[in-house]
Amino acid sequence: MKADRREEMKTEEIMNQNGGAIGFACAYTPLPLIHAAGFAPCRILPNVDCPDQAGRLLHDNLCPHVKRILDRAMSGMIPDLKGMVFMNSCDSMRRLHDAWKTVMPDMNAVLIDLPAVSIGASLGFFRDELDRLSQTLEQWGGKAIDDAALAGSIGLYDRIASLFTALREKAGRSDLEGGWTTLQKAYNRASVSPPEESIAFLETLFLREGADIRRGEPGVPVYLFGNMLPEPEAFSLFESCGAQIVADDLCTGSRLFAAVETTGNHKLLGLAAGILQRPACARTFREESPGRLGDDVAAGAIRAGARGVIGYTAKFCDPYIARLPGVREVLKRKGIPFLLLEGDCTLRSVGQQKTRIEAFIEMMR
Amino acid sequence: MYYLGIDIGSLSCDAVLIDSGSAIAASVVVPTGARNRESISRATDEALRIAGISRTDIAAVVSTGYGRDRVEERLSSVTEITCHAKGITALLPGIRLLIDIGGQDSKAILLGKEGGVVDFAMNDKCAAGTGRFLEAMARALQVDIDDMSDMDAGAKGEQSISSMCTVFAESEVVSLIAGGTPVNEIVMGLNRAIASRILSLVKRTTPSYPDVKIAMSGGVARNRGVVRAIASLMGHEVAVPKDPDTVGALGAALIAKEKSTLQRRAAVSVSLSL
Amino acid sequence: MMKAYFTDLEAGIVKAINDGNSSHRKLYTLELARLGKRLYSGTDPIAWCGITAPFDLLNAMGVTSCFVEFIGAMLAATGVVGTFIEETDHAGYSSDACSYHRSVCGAAMKGIMPVPEFLIGTTCPCSGGLAVLENLARRFDRKLFVLHVPQEDSAGSVRFLADQMREMAAFVSRITGRKMDGGALRKSVEYSNRASATMREIFELACRVPSPITSRDFSNFGIVMALFFGREEAVTIAESYRNEFKKRIDAGDNGTSGRKFRLLWIQNRIQFRHGLEKMLEEEYGASIISDELNDITWDPIDPENPFDGFARRAISIPINGTTEKRIGHLKKLARQYRIDGAINPCNWGCRQGAGARGLIENGLKEIGLPVLNLDVDCVDSRKFTEGQLRTRLEAFMEMLDNREPLWQS
Repeated sequence: MKADRREEMKTEEIMNQNGGAIGFACAYTPLPLIHAAGFAPCRILPNVDCPDQAGRLLHDNLCPHVKRILDRAMSGMIPDLKGMVFMNSCDSMRRLHDAWKTVMPDMNAVLIDLPAVSIGASLGFFRDELDRLSQTLEQWGGKAIDDAALAGSIGLYDRIASLFTALREKAGRSDLEGGWTTLQKAYNRASVSPPEESIAFLETLFLREGADIRRGEPGVPVYLFGNMLPEPEAFSLFESCGAQIVADDLCTGSRLFAAVETTGNHKLLGLAAGILQRPACARTFREESPGRLGDDVAAGAIRAGARGVIGYTAKFCDPYIARLPGVREVLKRKGIPFLLLEGDCTLRSVGQQKTRIEAFIEMMR
Repeated sequence: MYYLGIDIGSLSCDAVLIDSGSAIAASVVVPTGARNRESISRATDEALRIAGISRTDIAAVVSTGYGRDRVEERLSSVTEITCHAKGITALLPGIRLLIDIGGQDSKAILLGKEGGVVDFAMNDKCAAGTGRFLEAMARALQVDIDDMSDMDAGAKGEQSISSMCTVFAESEVVSLIAGGTPVNEIVMGLNRAIASRILSLVKRTTPSYPDVKIAMSGGVARNRGVVRAIASLMGHEVAVPKDPDTVGALGAALIAKEKSTLQRRAAVSVSLSL
Repeated sequence: MMKAYFTDLEAGIVKAINDGNSSHRKLYTLELARLGKRLYSGTDPIAWCGITAPFDLLNAMGVTSCFVEFIGAMLAATGVVGTFIEETDHAGYSSDACSYHRSVCGAAMKGIMPVPEFLIGTTCPCSGGLAVLENLARRFDRKLFVLHVPQEDSAGSVRFLADQMREMAAFVSRITGRKMDGGALRKSVEYSNRASATMREIFELACRVPSPITSRDFSNFGIVMALFFGREEAVTIAESYRNEFKKRIDAGDNGTSGRKFRLLWIQNRIQFRHGLEKMLEEEYGASIISDELNDITWDPIDPENPFDGFARRAISIPINGTTEKRIGHLKKLARQYRIDGAINPCNWGCRQGAGARGLIENGLKEIGLPVLNLDVDCVDSRKFTEGQLRTRLEAFMEMLDNREPLWQS
């Protein structure tokens, strides 16, 4: 069994000693809420190779992220969970919830709706959905949640968010030993650990002296955006092709641990607003300014000092497929080189595209 | 001093030797076969023999192609995209769009004014439109692939090949032959099918190409029928260098010279500053 | 180009009707042509929408509205859809996506999508559809309103959606400068209710053994009728269908003689011309007598409380909800229509619908109903592999022939 997997299962043991673990699959999941109910949120990552069975139950041409999670369930490679929370972030996630109920009929599962836009009545609706989630968690053996508990949990996750921001800055300056590979390992570990533990190991990581790791030609600074890339080795591969990643906008990365700034007393409403207003997956957009993904990516790349943009998306991802032509257009207009890679969330799928990545870096040198 | 460029492709291993004036001293193509290292040595030895020099005369080696990390004595490995751009600019200065169709993949490379790569698109997921595709069709037509170049002569372009996949296109061709469709019409249909895939690839790099010079490289560029079909569909002249197969290896050799020269200068300036 | 197409289509049908050659399908196609004309008139205010938009509400506000996939279907029907889809390939739109959406984007890129006054996006049935509306809003620089259709069937969900629809009406008023007329809305609801009631009658007639329905009859019926809800045409068309089927029953005409198999078609029909349905009827006596999307799953809308009614309707539509709900509905249709076999075309790129094909097949197996999963692109005719599809359909029919009838008479 891979080292990461061993690490994960050890963590799962720790979590079961607390209130128990609640599984989740999407970066929009309200982790502080689950924590405030006394559970430890545990992401079911698509990073375990299991036999390909999900395609038969759903469809072969479906999001590989969803299929790999379902494959884990169908192979019994799911930790002992008190329940599973699904977000209605996209069609594939809805289908995952449907299939999950068939494959894991004895496990508690709930589908929480997620607005596509973040204004007006949607906010109140999402707040109500979060309320429904709290009640559901209580039925599953969780604690009743009050504003104070929620505020505390939000505080913990916001601390994780700021630690990751600091770590990203370090990695971007080539000041983090192991670079973005180390960072991704940290993201993965934090997504399956109780927040208190995550804060502890992230603080240790941050304080560690960056070894003199400047070898050979400095990499070309690159902004990485997209959705699912949980494989730490994929980042070493980018670096070996000559890319120096300076920022990421991925849901297995920065988007999972983005700060939820809540002001005021109504924490649940604050959490709802915070989640909807965080850096978004392509499925969420602003009604008043549609088609802004390209502008956001360009702005992110410029802010991070990147010279080029690499997009990595899971194949068959409809929300991204629809917006990528717009992203391409904006980046071309602004003269920012852009390389799009599509894959199945695995290292293998990045490795197969090594020539493209190298050619892209060569092009920018 | 000589510089060696080696392009290790899936079908062939090409080697180009250039001298210190960047003139081509030797240009060799050998089949890759199952063992890369053997073909690499064979290509290198043959190039040395033609140029009349020995290994010690080689100042630097740059490798490219999918097997590029397997050349032990290399100074560096550089992707085929960059090497092809370099090579075509040396052979046909002013080229701004290069279409490369190899045995298993095809590429469209957009070049800047100085011959550097500005954008590129690759198709390496499917064989349709590549050398493999033509091999399969030659088999189906029961002709020699080297004879296919002008087999579309006299065709009116009445037959189109609708299948987008190599395997299905092969069945389609077999049915057409059985149905009595003339070979020249089938070949023209195939050429147009390839041209259409290539145009799709080109458009991923640039929506239009009004006044730019366009060239083709790769083994398939020797097929005059395909070149004609592409030129016709794009409404544009398409230039083909004398040795379209070795454009990548030439580019690698030129890069070997560049890098090696830079290194020497850097070493000299260090020793001067000591 | 499309304007000419719809004008010619209308003229052709009007002539046929005047020559005494009318039919329920002709009437339906006539109104479709007229809708097309209104969309391309360049004078009427139009709105591009998602499939689950409340068209009766928009009709009551004087806006000609239509779901964008309609254009994809029309392009497929005219046989020219390939060029438009190719245009999207060049712009970097993945060929993994649904062809309805790709063809619409291609049409917009080539300037044959009429510019709307505004757009109404709906989160159901699918993410892809909503994304197209977002892209069009940016391209046309027009305001977009998004209707979030909740997954959970609850009072809270109905209230939320009803409130959104009220906001939507206010949004439309602001843009068109026209206030919502209570009388017009009432009339609209009345037409919708009458049409739905007649459609229930039609479906009851279709359930009969033998059924008066042939495969062509119900093609695209329910999904297109939604566009006419709120207008008198919905009632006229529905009544003509009902009268036609009644006439067939009275004449002892069972659609096709020697009928053997009653088929259920899942999701959407293939939009371009093809011979498979004809082949099934002529060679196997198999007719499609029910479509998943041809069903009235909601109660009549209360004219005193129309927004609640519209919301309930949207949430009730099974394909908007969980697969469990869909399977439950398909089982109900199977029983109601005494279906022998179901065909799932599994449209290429459809994650929402075809994404659950395994679950649906398993679900219907529970009641002993065999399902044939095909791999078809319902819009891109260039990818149509007739031979392979025929083989699968023929094998399925042979299998049905060898089975005991599922429903005892």
